[in-house]
Amino acid sequence: MHQDSERNGAADGDANGKDGHSRRLTDEEFERYSRQMIVPGMGKEGQLRLINSRILIIGAGGLGCPAAQYIAGAGVGTIGLVDGDVVDKSNLHRQVGHATSRLGMKKVDSLIEHLRGLNPLPTYVPHAFHLDAQNAADIVARYDVVVDCTDNPATRYLISDVCVLLRKPLVSAASVQKSGQLIVLNCPPTPQGVVDGTPRAAPCYRCCFKKPPPPGSMVSCGEAGIMGPVVGMMGVAQAGEAIKIIASALHIPPDPSSSVSPETNLGQPALLIYSYDLASGVGPYTFRALMMAGRRRTCFACGEGSTLTLEGIRAGSPNYEQFCGLATSINQTRLPPEDRITASAYAAAAARGELPPHILLDTREREHFSFGSVDGAVNVPFGKLLVAAAAIKRDGAPADTILPTTKPSLPDDAPVFVVCRRGLDSQEVVEKLRELGVDNGGKRKIMDIIGGMKAWRDEVDPTFPFI
Amino acid sequence: MASKPPKGHFNVLYFASAGSYTSKQVEALPAPLPLKDLFGALESRYQGFRASVLDNSLVTLNLTYVDMLEGDEDESSIVIIQDGDEVAIIPPVSSG
Repeated sequence: MHQDSERNGAADGDANGKDGHSRRLTDEEFERYSRQMIVPGMGKEGQLRLINSRILIIGAGGLGCPAAQYIAGAGVGTIGLVDGDVVDKSNLHRQVGHATSRLGMKKVDSLIEHLRGLNPLPTYVPHAFHLDAQNAADIVARYDVVVDCTDNPATRYLISDVCVLLRKPLVSAASVQKSGQLIVLNCPPTPQGVVDGTPRAAPCYRCCFKKPPPPGSMVSCGEAGIMGPVVGMMGVAQAGEAIKIIASALHIPPDPSSSVSPETNLGQPALLIYSYDLASGVGPYTFRALMMAGRRRTCFACGEGSTLTLEGIRAGSPNYEQFCGLATSINQTRLPPEDRITASAYAAAAARGELPPHILLDTREREHFSFGSVDGAVNVPFGKLLVAAAAIKRDGAPADTILPTTKPSLPDDAPVFVVCRRGLDSQEVVEKLRELGVDNGGKRKIMDIIGGMKAWRDEVDPTFPFI
Repeated sequence: MASKPPKGHFNVLYFASAGSYTSKQVEALPAPLPLKDLFGALESRYQGFRASVLDNSLVTLNLTYVDMLEGDEDESSIVIIQDGDEVAIIPPVSSG
């Protein structure tokens, strides 16, 4: 009954001979995978490659859930999942492999429960902890292809470096708010230090993004928000790429003596950008495929003369946390104590009527402000303030035009208090206002409210709707 | 998302944090402009943009990657952004 005909016998031998994987499909496999196997280019050959392969999915969240569903459904033989978090209610709008009934469960266990329901055939391997410099190489080494579904820059650089050294293709995607990006890196894998060739060796993450952005500018989904379908789309696309790499053996460097046409490996790497516009009725989204370059000759990880090693990574070099500025971003204090006031002190002084007429500038995004704010606060989002500051500097307009107009209008020495979400942007705004001269040479006090609206919730009003 | 830029201009597309920083998704700037002057031109419009976003972003010109980082005089100095071109600023995104 099976299409185990002799027609593709030779090709099967080539494709699967190395690992001795030419075999009949079981009835269960035949039935389960029939709809994808009849797709041109897939066939039994591609299916067996999937069954005999091992894919590691790092991150069981908004990208990892949809990616894992399709990878499991497609019948990949071994699926490893890495995540140290537990399921939280605020995850469920996008992390579709979890469930309300599994809140508080380890994400890897919750997702595996879901995946087993979809397809009991694969072997699922839970790694219920976060990937770090000590454990990364040992885990990655056990798999054929890595899917990066993580949520922070330090881990992204670590994964890329380890994939370069262990020669694993890496399907990397990321998504925040209304946009996402996806790129296949290191595919086919080329030895570290080899740049030239036909085609030029494929890039790693560092070839594309040499330096991480300053801490604080790279916000997480928890802070900036994320639309479920946007991150879902990127996760599904990751599964598509990972399945394609395995099924078509794109991760195996072209062998000149093989019957597989070398053109299959000649594609120039592309970065897929997806953007979604909540306000646009027509053309609700756009996809852009951007042509990327090959390996960067001077790349720290994969370029010529790179000194990166697995032993070094295990021993803490490079230091990924430091590289991404994470060590310094917590409790960052930019201003001296006299320029700052605690949320509780502000609230108490306001309640006692001790504060002179003043401006309370709330620099959170409009959406955050819309859930609640301190009485009398005026919302000017951080980004808008910076743009206004640049325009004033450029055009030489009066500095205090940056302040919101008040009625009645306040004297030019009325104090300004600045509050944001967690207390970092507000300090930068205080500095910026001073730099512009809004403080009238010291006549006007400009103060930061320490810890932002989070502190307000913690110290003043526990019912405040803080997101 | 982006209509054609007016005559004598090119479009700059701002993705992810570049869009948040500028509060825009797209903007038309006067062309021609040497590629090596792009970051300077953007910095003068958005103070602090370079350090916060641009220096870490990937840049494409007409959907193809251009190297802003190695910035050796021979390559980036000869690329001129032309009338009608499309430049994209793509900061790394790390969430998922």
